[in-house]
Amino acid sequence: MGKQVTSGDKPLTILSDLDLDVFPGETLAILGASGAGKSTLLGLLAALDQPTSGELSLFGEPLANLDEDGRAQLRAGRVGFVFQNFQLLPTLTALENVLLPLELAPLTDSEQRGRDWLTRVGLGERLSHLPKQLSGGEQQRVAVARAFVTDPQLVFADEPTGNLDPATGKRIIDLLFALNREAGTTLVLVTHDHALARRCDRCLRLDGGQLEPLLLEEVEA
Amino acid sequence: MSSVAESSPLSARRHSRGFGALRWSLRGMRRDLRAADVRALFVALALAVAASTMIGFFLDRLERGLERQAGQLLGGDLALEQGRPFDDALRQLLEENDLTVSEQIGMVSMVSVDDAFQPASLKVVDDRYPLYGEVHLDAGEGLELVAHGPSPGEAWLAPRLAQLLEVAPGDSVRVGDVELLVSGLIEREPDQSGGFANFNPRLMMHQADAEASGLVQPGSRIEFSLLARGSPAAVDTVTPQLRELTAEGVEIRDVRRDRPQLGNALARAEQYLSLAGLAAVLLAGVAVAMATRRYVDRHLDTAALLRCFGATQRQLTRLFALQLLWLALAASVVGALLGLAGQAGLLWLLTAFLPIELPPPGPLPLLLGVLTALAVLAGFAGPTLLRLKRVSALKVLRRELDPLPASAWLVVVVASLVFGGLLWLYSGDPQLAFGLLLGGLIMLVVLWGLGALLLGVVLRLATRLPQGGAKRQALRLGAQQLARRRSASLGQLLAFSVTFAAMAMIALVRGDLLTTWQDQLPEDTPNYFAINIQPGERDAFIDTLDDAVDERTTLYPMVRGRISAINDQPPRDAVPADARSDGSLRRELNLTWRETLPDGNRLVAGQWFDAGPGVTEGRVPISVEDGLAERLGLSLGDTMTFSIGSDEIVGELTSLRNLDWDSFRPNFFVIFPPEVLERYGHSYITAFHLDRERDDISRALVREFPGVSLLNVEAILGQVRELLTQVTRAVEFVLGFVLLAGVSVLYAALTASRPTRAHESGLLRVFGAGDRLISRVQGAEFAILGFASGLMGALLAELAAAGVYLAWFDLAPRIHWGLWLTLPLGGALLIGVIGHALSRSVRRQTPMQSLGLLGEA
Repeated sequence: MGKQVTSGDKPLTILSDLDLDVFPGETLAILGASGAGKSTLLGLLAALDQPTSGELSLFGEPLANLDEDGRAQLRAGRVGFVFQNFQLLPTLTALENVLLPLELAPLTDSEQRGRDWLTRVGLGERLSHLPKQLSGGEQQRVAVARAFVTDPQLVFADEPTGNLDPATGKRIIDLLFALNREAGTTLVLVTHDHALARRCDRCLRLDGGQLEPLLLEEVEA
Repeated sequence: MSSVAESSPLSARRHSRGFGALRWSLRGMRRDLRAADVRALFVALALAVAASTMIGFFLDRLERGLERQAGQLLGGDLALEQGRPFDDALRQLLEENDLTVSEQIGMVSMVSVDDAFQPASLKVVDDRYPLYGEVHLDAGEGLELVAHGPSPGEAWLAPRLAQLLEVAPGDSVRVGDVELLVSGLIEREPDQSGGFANFNPRLMMHQADAEASGLVQPGSRIEFSLLARGSPAAVDTVTPQLRELTAEGVEIRDVRRDRPQLGNALARAEQYLSLAGLAAVLLAGVAVAMATRRYVDRHLDTAALLRCFGATQRQLTRLFALQLLWLALAASVVGALLGLAGQAGLLWLLTAFLPIELPPPGPLPLLLGVLTALAVLAGFAGPTLLRLKRVSALKVLRRELDPLPASAWLVVVVASLVFGGLLWLYSGDPQLAFGLLLGGLIMLVVLWGLGALLLGVVLRLATRLPQGGAKRQALRLGAQQLARRRSASLGQLLAFSVTFAAMAMIALVRGDLLTTWQDQLPEDTPNYFAINIQPGERDAFIDTLDDAVDERTTLYPMVRGRISAINDQPPRDAVPADARSDGSLRRELNLTWRETLPDGNRLVAGQWFDAGPGVTEGRVPISVEDGLAERLGLSLGDTMTFSIGSDEIVGELTSLRNLDWDSFRPNFFVIFPPEVLERYGHSYITAFHLDRERDDISRALVREFPGVSLLNVEAILGQVRELLTQVTRAVEFVLGFVLLAGVSVLYAALTASRPTRAHESGLLRVFGAGDRLISRVQGAEFAILGFASGLMGALLAELAAAGVYLAWFDLAPRIHWGLWLTLPLGGALLIGVIGHALSRSVRRQTPMQSLGLLGEA
């Protein structure tokens, strides 16, 4: 699969000839420098965007056959996201932010699930706080709870520690991996944080539009 | 081939119970009420509903009030007249339809006391008289209001008749074979209908005495009236059944024809209110459009996130449409309450005019109000809202990926279509709606180009400003900021122009309406009519009067003649079926002759006598009033035969005249050239104004010219003036409402542009600008925007007002020079001050807050 965009008059290749399988239950880190195309790749894997060449399937479903709405429905309730800038809605409380994905894929006990997940990430007492009343670390915890609340099969994390100080970042990563283990979720994260990458089952480096496998031992601490 | 989580055992697990859009939209809207743009949307929608319901409720009730008022002047909701008694079947038909029926007989007869005789206009009434209103009566103990007629054996006299006969309450007068006791003097009757047939002073008596008097004989010239009072529904039920009677010579009287002054003023006031209501709705629409832009900007992140979590475009559309629907419904409730209060205010202003027992407000205006809110929302917010569903899920990773804004033209076209629909709904005139809409769209294109040009000029002027000086610096920076945000500024410029134009137009139309009304009945409007002036009295009459009146008195000769043929056929066969009972065919007409076109008359077809052919083949050229010609289906070249005495004169229509029936001056349906009618017996008629304190003149006229009938129309004139004053107040009240809607646009527009301004002032502050400079730059920017909007608004208002005058109010357009000064300067001041004040919170923010504000609530 590949991705080209047009920049000015010239075509610009961001990703070319990628061949990648992500297996259920594995944790995969994609490393790369700034501007290497990590977020573009994440967008493609999460079916937020379409490749310009090749084929891509999600949960065994070829994405070429689906329009944007079809791809959205494929994601509903089955894919969770954690973003670098948290992406919490400022007018929603912590609980309402967590419940947001459940509005689209409701479960019988949505509200209770939201409370439970916020309790699990240590924010059981801050359910009705607005994002601006929470610290950066706390906001990312809300985002993590939101990613897991629908019992997704797959969680994507885009630089989840990028906006946090190292100590807070570490606590978030601990939490993310602990929850991932408990839920048996597939986790795909893109990062340039090597420490974070080393905790994954598998590691790939994105460079010059190509993916190359990276032995965990090769990932510098 | 790349695949992600291909063989998940859970892939079929997910249930789909559907998106809880209803619940979520309700919660979302409640949360959103904190946001300024949603508050602006709420205010705008509430104002649209308030304007339309207020005016709807009011007009609905006014319509009924007018019917009552009309009923009072007419003597009933329905008045049937004919030259012979009505049969019982007709009376029964009316009563079976829940109408209260009263009978009247009108005739001219001699009234005598001993040897003194006076012709009087007799009005014979029954026990139900009057169906509406009260008689202002002086029974010897001062003026009182009584809701009945004289008892059997009694007579009430007009003071002039009492004066001429030298009787007072307690004396007796003889009418035909009966002797009646004078028990009161009539100052004012509720039903003043009857026109100039009632030039003789009034004597009112009871039905029971009519037969005994022996006056009601077959063949005598008597007018029988059947007056009916009842609900509009009851009147509507019987009207179609009565229509057949018109072919048999029954006249069904209509207040608008009988008292055009009231009808015209009210019709124009109603049109004004409708127009003002629409202007308020248009302004609210513009505010909605402005606020929606900010609403959509603010919800792009939410939409992208929802898209990311799996929302389909349909779900997003439903969610946001529902959110706004709740808002519209909540605004409708508040708006309807405001509208109810507003119409109560309007009614309060008009209390003296409207009868007290008005029906309660009906549900229809309320429905119309809610419909208006939904239409405004769909039309003015719809296309912009669609942007939310086009948002890409990828925006969560790449913030810059905003969907393209809705095409400005799409927004304008959809809003115009919806507004055109509302115009149609409110005016009931598709042609007018289409015309206004088309004109509006053309104007918008012109304004768009003009606005772009103006912004270019502003930028060029700003860059040429010499350096130095804090004010010049602020002006330059302000202009640059305005020109840099070209498309946003252009949008604001247009919105403000339309707002100023709508506000100005409503104010202009108000002013011109009031002037027209005042011109219509100036201080020196004739308040006396004198008829039956004999040729021998003519010069003496003029001499007596000329001492007391400013204007040279014009006396019109009057010859009475009956239309005996039209185009050589019997009149009733020659005219359209619905004109067979026209008064002009049943009565003698007052014919006059004149060399020149009378004042207040306008030639609309053909040529006046001096330019046209003279008497040819025994046909005399005649000039006919265009309304009569239209009713009788006559055009130029047709002939009318008049029987005057024992002669017949054939006239050929050589000109049609339009004349002002509201003028309180003698007006004639038919005018002959000189030297045709002189040989017949004629008298003169005139109208003149006498100041109240010149009672001596009227007394002298009565004394010196006993044969002349002097009619004082001061009471009718006063009634019309009073009505105009009250309607004027109502019009001003509504103007205030439109101004409020205008302010809501300013609020919405300034709210919408707040984040951008915050960002800009944050940047300026980062680069070292102080509070004073930022405050000045913002003030300058708003002032320039206001000035330019004022200029364009003045242009738009002039054109729109001219169009509305011609199409709606039948007024002549004129240029309002003051507008070109007031609007730009007032606009600069208004936008400058309000914008500056609303941006105060922005200026208080730290640069960090300002720069982070974009995209958040």
